[in-house]
Amino acid sequence: MFQKIKKISDWSIANPKRAIKLNVVLAAVLLFLVALPFIVPGIPLSKLRVDTDPENMLSKTEEVRVFHNQMRKEFHLYDIVVVGVVDKTHSQGVFNVDSLKGVYALTEYAKTLDGVVTRELMAPSTVDSIESGAQGVVNFHWLMPESPATDKESKAIYDQAKRIPFLNGTLVSEDGKALALYVPIKSKDLSYAISKALKEKAKELEISDQVFIAGLPVAQDQFGVEMFKQMLVSAPLAMLFIFLLMYFFFRNVRLIASPMIVAGLSVVVTMGLLVVTGNTVHIMSSMIPIFIMPIAVLDAVHILSDFFDVYPKFKDRKKAINHVMSTLSMPMLYTSITTVVGFASLAFTPIPPVQVFGVFVALGVGFAWLSTITFIPAFIMLMSQKSLDGFGLKEKEPGENRLGKGLQLLGFKMRDYAKPVLGIALVGVLVSFVGISKIQINDNPVKWFSKSHDIRIADKELNDRFAGTYMAYLALEKKTLVSDLKSKGEKVGFPPEIIGQLSAEDETVSDVLENMRDYADVQDNADLWHQKIDMIESDLQVFKNPEMLHYIEGLQSHLQTVGVVGKSSSIVDIIKTVHRDLYLGQEKDFRLPDTSAAIAQTLMTYQNSHRPNDLWHFVTPDYTKATLFVQLNSGDNKDMASLVKAVADYQSKYPAPFKITSKWFGMTYINVVWQDKMVSGMMQSFLGSFLIVLLLMTLLFRSIGWGMLAMLPLVITISGIYGLIGFVGKDYDMPIAVLSSLSLGLAVDYAIHFLARARVLRGKNKTWDATIKPLFGDPAQAIFRNVIVISIGFVPLLFATLVPYQTVGLFISAILFFAGAVTLLILPALITLFQKVLFKNGLNHNMTRVTKISVVVLIGLIIIENVLF
Amino acid sequence: MKKILFPILMGLSFSVFAMNANEIVSKAEQASYYQGQDGRAKVTMNISDGRSRQFVILRKNFGKDQKFYVYFQRPSDVRKMSFLIHKYMQKEDDRWMFLPALDLVKRIAAGDKRTSFAGSHFYYEDVSGRDPKEDKHELVDTTDDFYVIKSTPKKSGSAEFAYYKTWIHKGTFIPTKASYYKKGDKEYRQYEALKVQKLDGFQTVTEAVMRDLESGGETKLSYNEVKYNMGLEDNLFTERYLKNPPKQYLK
Repeated sequence: MFQKIKKISDWSIANPKRAIKLNVVLAAVLLFLVALPFIVPGIPLSKLRVDTDPENMLSKTEEVRVFHNQMRKEFHLYDIVVVGVVDKTHSQGVFNVDSLKGVYALTEYAKTLDGVVTRELMAPSTVDSIESGAQGVVNFHWLMPESPATDKESKAIYDQAKRIPFLNGTLVSEDGKALALYVPIKSKDLSYAISKALKEKAKELEISDQVFIAGLPVAQDQFGVEMFKQMLVSAPLAMLFIFLLMYFFFRNVRLIASPMIVAGLSVVVTMGLLVVTGNTVHIMSSMIPIFIMPIAVLDAVHILSDFFDVYPKFKDRKKAINHVMSTLSMPMLYTSITTVVGFASLAFTPIPPVQVFGVFVALGVGFAWLSTITFIPAFIMLMSQKSLDGFGLKEKEPGENRLGKGLQLLGFKMRDYAKPVLGIALVGVLVSFVGISKIQINDNPVKWFSKSHDIRIADKELNDRFAGTYMAYLALEKKTLVSDLKSKGEKVGFPPEIIGQLSAEDETVSDVLENMRDYADVQDNADLWHQKIDMIESDLQVFKNPEMLHYIEGLQSHLQTVGVVGKSSSIVDIIKTVHRDLYLGQEKDFRLPDTSAAIAQTLMTYQNSHRPNDLWHFVTPDYTKATLFVQLNSGDNKDMASLVKAVADYQSKYPAPFKITSKWFGMTYINVVWQDKMVSGMMQSFLGSFLIVLLLMTLLFRSIGWGMLAMLPLVITISGIYGLIGFVGKDYDMPIAVLSSLSLGLAVDYAIHFLARARVLRGKNKTWDATIKPLFGDPAQAIFRNVIVISIGFVPLLFATLVPYQTVGLFISAILFFAGAVTLLILPALITLFQKVLFKNGLNHNMTRVTKISVVVLIGLIIIENVLF
Repeated sequence: MKKILFPILMGLSFSVFAMNANEIVSKAEQASYYQGQDGRAKVTMNISDGRSRQFVILRKNFGKDQKFYVYFQRPSDVRKMSFLIHKYMQKEDDRWMFLPALDLVKRIAAGDKRTSFAGSHFYYEDVSGRDPKEDKHELVDTTDDFYVIKSTPKKSGSAEFAYYKTWIHKGTFIPTKASYYKKGDKEYRQYEALKVQKLDGFQTVTEAVMRDLESGGETKLSYNEVKYNMGLEDNLFTERYLKNPPKQYLK
């Protein structure tokens, strides 16, 4: 097979112009196809679409997502842009004439913006205050009908809002210094434009230094905007670094241009394919270029490194490149296959964007490999002999330069100190496991921005002052069966045979109630019948029942003891507030009335306000479903998860008085769900691809022992890195999860190169001792240069404004560094120790029985792993 | 010559034959809120989210001032709740409500009447009538059947609309449609009389709807058992009757 693969590069060496043309034309065609829909609108081709909605991390049919959307519709809930206004200079905070004038104007402006759901806008001038006035008067009025004329009036607005639990900590901050506008929007992807418009208006109103804009949708939409900046800045910057480092090693600008071109072509082809196939550029897929680049460069550096070392020996491009390609064809094929397997395995995760990411990185790596073995030899062939003058090692033997000498010394030391080295490695791995056990799984889309970013500043400013900008909703529902309804009907005096007629097989509870009403209408004493049905209905309306409401009240006060909860709101708070102000506004009347009728009448009073429909955010008009709004001052998944647990614990300890179901929804919760899926999905896909790569390695080396040896750098790298994450306390988040598949691809690469060359050289040199010197010659140098070029090359990503890019940069560097070190240090020590077993069969091509059995077992395990999960 | 004559004739025709906007509005107000000396109706209110209510409304005129009594019959948990409205031309209205389950009579603060009536899409002001003096009225169109009046609040910011248009039937002066607009001529709220019948000799709207065009919600009112000139006693419309409903008029 390798002979056939080698023929591909042979063809390129023979036909360099055609090989290059082929590569470039393919990239150009895809680029053209991507550009076409922009040049010729209306052409039936997929247009580049950006999607930053984390909701799309889950498939559209995912249960939690379907439920989330259904509840949002039922309770009229929208995505919200939170506009915080903070005045740190005035003694009354934002409650002064000038600031409130600005707030009023900003609110009026927000109403005019397209995409704003005006009727649901929450601002001092659009919400009602309820007050208990003199002489038994109850008063609903706009909290701030117009901007106040004096600072005293301004302060009064705060004092009024503070009395209303629904507003305190939400509309006005608990410290009385700040207020927030809640601007509901029709669709999430409008949030960036709307927040930008509001910021500009704030500048015009001269309150821009006081305005902070937060909320998940804004963060998400902004991420999409900055994602492109990062793609356009960070990725090229990384390429520049890699270029400079390669220049440092190889000193030939034209030559080192070739890996850059290969990387560029691979990115263009992959992203082109992504767009042309109608996939969106999502948070995940935006990182594809960053992942493809190092992998594309990796193989090329191997070729250049070997070429650099052997060129002086041949003094002939063709001979030298032929030599290099015949040594490297096999390892490069295998390293590429393992990387492809690592990423392709992501296709089996349950998260659509991760699937797309995995598949396209795999495609990109495949293309990068093909491009490397065709483009680079062709490129070298097209260079003039003259331009290679003076290229390559000055010394005849690779071991004679300083780097070579150093590496060889290292090789011998590893042989001499094999046992202590392995001992240290073992301790290292054990310590890593301690670190891994400390790993905290957590994510927060707002923390995808660096700390100094406006979004993070606003997030902190608002969450410090208010009850929280992160919303989670608990949906409570009392399900009623038609059979329950029948027995209730009989109880109030409906004759059983009539009930039977009124409830056909497939009819719902509300159908049957409707039938009962129709029946009542035509009876002589219709009113009496309607009253009976009223009784049945009020029986079904559990969220008007005082017992049920007391239960919610208890749950809410328990939630207040859960650290991350700033505040919770429900229908209970509305009832208690109105009840208090129906009496004299005293604290003792801030309670639930005793009967359903009293509750209904209290609510009827509330509905005489300007915003009666606010009630329907908390309960459905039939009072069979209710929501509990929970405001969290952290969007961390771990905090949401602890809230979920706190509620579940409470409910199992104190069951509700009626049989109700309770389910969470809201973006903060959805993020937790996809994270859980991500973690388990990643674990599983990693396990699967680990087994596949082990099988491939065993087949490649025709020995289970060598196969396991090849996997060792990966195991140590992964445990080292994830151990470090655990110790450092960095959260295991989306980018870190995805990086496990990258490490799978990259960490095995060095081992393959190293072991493949070790076996070939051992064959030539008869003993392991004699093999060490040449092995730590150009093969080790290639690995060393690779580690340096790519791990330092990704340093620019650390300066990205988006944290996932920083993480990826840091960890690509760490993975390569770890994997390279383990390959060069631990593999020689291990081979020294186990050389008898490893070289027993003289490296012949027949598999031993143990290996054969292992292969069968591995195949079995892979099948089981894929079938079971 | 023609050029000059035509506008003059047009001007003449308006001043001679057409009523001015204020006259039309005043007639419409009479037709929709002041028919007879007093009146009664049993009203079924259906809100588009599935809620329904039933109440009896009694009205009596005291010159241009009016008194309303509203008694809830359904749903059962608000049964016996009642409202009392005294509407005055010269001063702010007085409003009371009675909550039987809390045994509580409350006055509702004077002032803004553009708040929801019992959680429906109608406002208090739609039930008792908006004072024509609050707005500046213009006749913007006259069709075969309707006068179209555009009304703009004299005090800007006193209502949530920028202006509203009313389609007033030429024959009966019943407003059959009203559209409310925000700044930028965006219609967001719409009233429509769905059924008009002649009862006890008075043209009466017996079915009407208020639509919230933004949320898509609406409330439909059906008036049944409408009676006029029943001779309702003055003292029915006092606080005392909130707690002790006048049963004979409520059946």
